[in-house]
Amino acid sequence: METKILSEHYDKPSFKTLKGYKELSGYEDLAKALKMDPKKIIEDVKAAGLRGRGGAGFPTGVKWGFLPDNGEPRYLLCNADEGEPGTFKDRLMMEAAPHQLIEGMIISAFAIGSKKSYIYIRGEYNSCIRSMTKALEEAYADGLLGKNIMGSGFDHDMDVYVGAGAYICGEETAMISSLEGLKGQPKLKPPFPAIEGYLKKPTIVNNVESLAAVKYIIRDGVEGYRKYGTEKSAGTKLFSVSGNVTKPGNYEIPLGMSMKELIMDIAGGMKPGRKLKAVIPGGSSTPILTAEEALKVNMDYESMAELGTFLGSGAVIVIDDSNCMVDLLGVLMHFYHHESCGQCTPCREGTGWLNKLVHSILKGEAKMKDLELINGISNHMMGKTICALSDAAAMPALSFLKKFRDEFEYYIKEGRSKVKGVSYAEVNH
Amino acid sequence: MPKLTINGTEVEVKEGATVIEAFKQMNEDIAHYCWHPGLSIAGVCRLCMIDVEGARGPQIACNTVAKEGMVVTNQSEQIKDIVKWGMDFHLINHPLDCPICDQAGECGLQEQYMKFGQYDPEMDQPKVKKRKVVDLGEKVVLDSERCILCSRCVRFTDEVSKTKELGIFNRGDRSEVGTFADKPLNNKYSLNTVDICPVGALTSKDFRFRQRVWYLKNDNTVCNGCSTGCNVKVYYNEEGLFRVTPEHNEEVNGYWMCDEGRDIYKFANKNQRLLKAKKYDGSNWQELTAGKAMQELHHSLFDDVKTNCSKVGVVFTGQYTNEEYADAMQTFKSLGVASFFEWNDTADKAGDFDDLLIRGDKNPNTKGLQDEAANHSGLKKLEDAINAVNSGQIDTIFVMAPENISVYPNYQSTYEALSKAKNFIWFGANKTDGFEKSNSQNTYLIPMKSYIEKTGTFSGAKAIQKFNYVTTIVAGALTLSEAMTLFQGKEIEFELRSKPMTSLKNNHFTLNRGKL
Repeated sequence: METKILSEHYDKPSFKTLKGYKELSGYEDLAKALKMDPKKIIEDVKAAGLRGRGGAGFPTGVKWGFLPDNGEPRYLLCNADEGEPGTFKDRLMMEAAPHQLIEGMIISAFAIGSKKSYIYIRGEYNSCIRSMTKALEEAYADGLLGKNIMGSGFDHDMDVYVGAGAYICGEETAMISSLEGLKGQPKLKPPFPAIEGYLKKPTIVNNVESLAAVKYIIRDGVEGYRKYGTEKSAGTKLFSVSGNVTKPGNYEIPLGMSMKELIMDIAGGMKPGRKLKAVIPGGSSTPILTAEEALKVNMDYESMAELGTFLGSGAVIVIDDSNCMVDLLGVLMHFYHHESCGQCTPCREGTGWLNKLVHSILKGEAKMKDLELINGISNHMMGKTICALSDAAAMPALSFLKKFRDEFEYYIKEGRSKVKGVSYAEVNH
Repeated sequence: MPKLTINGTEVEVKEGATVIEAFKQMNEDIAHYCWHPGLSIAGVCRLCMIDVEGARGPQIACNTVAKEGMVVTNQSEQIKDIVKWGMDFHLINHPLDCPICDQAGECGLQEQYMKFGQYDPEMDQPKVKKRKVVDLGEKVVLDSERCILCSRCVRFTDEVSKTKELGIFNRGDRSEVGTFADKPLNNKYSLNTVDICPVGALTSKDFRFRQRVWYLKNDNTVCNGCSTGCNVKVYYNEEGLFRVTPEHNEEVNGYWMCDEGRDIYKFANKNQRLLKAKKYDGSNWQELTAGKAMQELHHSLFDDVKTNCSKVGVVFTGQYTNEEYADAMQTFKSLGVASFFEWNDTADKAGDFDDLLIRGDKNPNTKGLQDEAANHSGLKKLEDAINAVNSGQIDTIFVMAPENISVYPNYQSTYEALSKAKNFIWFGANKTDGFEKSNSQNTYLIPMKSYIEKTGTFSGAKAIQKFNYVTTIVAGALTLSEAMTLFQGKEIEFELRSKPMTSLKNNHFTLNRGKL
């Protein structure tokens, strides 16, 4: 069953406005937080077990704890670049409840002692840019941002920064580069952003959903927040279910729910006459699960890790038996080749090579040994580069090949898709 | 000073040093392209992979700070495999046009493939096509297909020359180095980008296609283009010099040199040189060997100089070695000559400095000249010499002319003015094409050795630096010291010209033609 904590009021149009938001107890948690000791908030976020909702699942409170106590100004950046294919939860949040994000961000900024934050929104998200800009204006007019917020003596300024739609700018250091006016490319780590980030100052980058969730840790307390989810994957999370299901959409569920329930009940199950074939569980970069695996896995970080995949950003892409896996991998490899920033050699050259190889299968030009080559390339792209884009391209290639090898071999032997019975050229003439 | 173990050997490095620096310090092989000791760390080629005991996975040595007790290896099978694949990733879109590539023979891809690669390539997909023969600026050409995007050139223009002309445009495997619109790569240090380019992507318009590098020898010397005295390597064969590249010297020039300094070799080559001595008696020019000319001067002028020493002047330029100044001034002083003059056409800019390497004084050894002259009666101005010649106060003048005449705009006019003296002896390495006329009826032009052909020291702005004989270009040329010895009627020995000179004092040189 859906458990609407974050998304409780998303269906109410008035929730978008400051007035409507306040009527539904908006900014009350901020008032509460501003009376707390910032250190206590950090402790609570740690204790609540909130893990980064952008994809990596790193504990948010622990990340905050990396900030050095050196008196330098600190920046809080909200990662609203939401570029992982299949993910559209942050968009919903920014459209339906902009003030929820702003409130979560002010509380977080207060906790880490930051006087300035940016919401980095991807360029394609026009509606989000509009709603967030408008909400910021409302918040400033109401004294919720600026000097002496709610009479607490805490000052904070917040701005929207619009990216240009590059996938790589969702990587936190690339986002910092982009925000600094540089080419959106990841920076070498160490130093990590918490030590030396935006403008070389200590910087925290958190996902939209993570920041919004902080509000509910304040509202419900550590125990209240931990009421949902599992010991290591606490709370609820929004999942963007897409693909071949009857009711695709965003659904908030407690972590630890079975994927079967999410897909088959909440998202309405498969379309009539179709069978589940595979699921990409956490955005296009996460290793694919077979139907069998998908039906037994739970929606939490640990269960996914047991199957060698990730909860990622919560983008559940459901694939039914009408799909050709070679085709799908072709789409993914095209995407990663297009989005590689080109800095690190293994990724720059590897994504292009993989894309060419998969498309040579689709064109009927590949040899059987090319499958080993795809494995070799992917293995040598994993963990060898500055950021994880290289891994993001390699993981689907490896998992598709491992779990659906018969379809690839059939394609190479017969020159046509095992599922569709026709060649790529015939389909995409 | 942390101690760490690299491939089983313990090494102590300075605080804050990176692991790749430790590898370099102990001369241990490590694959890398983007790392350069004079530039910031990019960490993009991903080749300097190492296993660090206790670390989560392979790390890059260039961005890993050496710590006490660290145990590092790049000899594990895993690392060797990663490096091999890393090489392959670099090469899949590289055109492999080594037979027509100017970098062949000194190419990072060739060298490191032989050391770390040696696999059978599996890439049979079409390669990415990029721009060829891109004119980046006055001196540098880019072949984008050969480029491995190590970003060294971009970092050089960002961090060292601070001119910021270069950038990497586009992304993924479509990335290309390029210049920004309307801002070509025309800074005074642009050719350093060619030196640090590990492949044949950036080539020098001056050097490209002129010589295969394996047909060239190279030796170290000191640039004589200005008072900085950059340490350089000159590349040469029996035809002469072909190029000059910087050699690392942290105290003087770091890893760099200016573009102007790279052109100096042209003044040392035969086509720019005075090959034989010449004399003029008021109507005819006659060629003779330098030794013979000096012998004649000894017989006709030596005693005369001694008796008329007050009417003798010596003009110096800051382009000779300290040892030559000492010998020349000593010789003239012993004859009673006290009128020494300094000729420096860039004296008014002598204090200029661009805060990197280029200095306004375009002579390598002005300081050495002035210091040596201070031991005698000091130096007077060139105008004083010209005035004294015009008024007849001086009737015999010796001119130690410059070697690099590009920084002597008044070369010709000074020659003409000083040749009004009755006896006019011109020592110079450079050719004297415009010198058909001489106003003196007793003119001698004596060929001098260039900086490539002698051993000595320059007192530069940063340090007194010794440099050694590299090669012989003009066989009969002399150093000032040799000329002075001959002028005194003494003998010098000529040895086989391919033998390097060991020291200036033991100044035997060139050819087994016996004693003069």
